Amino acid sequence: MIAIQKEDVDVGKLIDAAKQLGTGAFVIFDGIVRDDDIVEMELEAYHDVALKELKRIAEEAKKIHNLLSVDIIHRIGRLAVGENILIIVVGAGHRAEAFDGCRFIIEAIKAGVPIWKKELRKNGGRWVPGEHQHGAGKI
Amino acid sequence: MRRYNHCHEEKVMKVKVRFFARFKELLGTDIVVDAATGIALNGLIRDIAAKNSEGYDEIFDENGTFKDFVILMRNGKRIDSTDAPQTKIEDGDEIAVFPPVAGG
Repeated sequence: MIAIQKEDVDVGKLIDAAKQLGTGAFVIFDGIVRDDDIVEMELEAYHDVALKELKRIAEEAKKIHNLLSVDIIHRIGRLAVGENILIIVVGAGHRAEAFDGCRFIIEAIKAGVPIWKKELRKNGGRWVPGEHQHGAGKI
Repeated sequence: MRRYNHCHEEKVMKVKVRFFARFKELLGTDIVVDAATGIALNGLIRDIAAKNSEGYDEIFDENGTFKDFVILMRNGKRIDSTDAPQTKIEDGDEIAVFPPVAGG
């Protein structure tokens, strides 16, 4: 399952659904709204482009790291402290592939998927600055 | 003085411009504009951003050039912002303008 959605997801069900012959390990990344003195986090996406990019990253990760399954659910909308923002479930034959594949996916998402988040505080909001990318430069 | 009537009318194209994150807050989004044939990407965005000086200043420097961090897409594909003056807009294009991404 690759999705950008408002709703939360049941990680246990994702794991159960992804189990297949040959699976020896799952690695799960769960990015959550941290209590940085904020009230809520607001997320928005360039939906069609972001979804296509998530699918591309999942396929690339499968090939490079020999993964058996990849699920990525990125949430949008308003999320409270402690809520899930991003769930990545990676299944592989062995732990090394699963760890490496999951790390590859989260770093690729942070580097280039058009999604933004704004911290909402009592006294206003602040867009979280991106860590990567530059508008001038070939990719 | 004699005036000559132009026999042709300038063609107009429909273009959709989408701003995201703080650019959207300042300039709106899903803006459908009638663009003149032959207009380049930088000119199109400059014209739209000019309606809000704060929004304009977020995106362009004092020379009217895209700031380094501004990211451009045309129909879902990245356009190097230094190529914007040579990138001609076509009818039906969807242009996206946004700051560095911060998902995850």
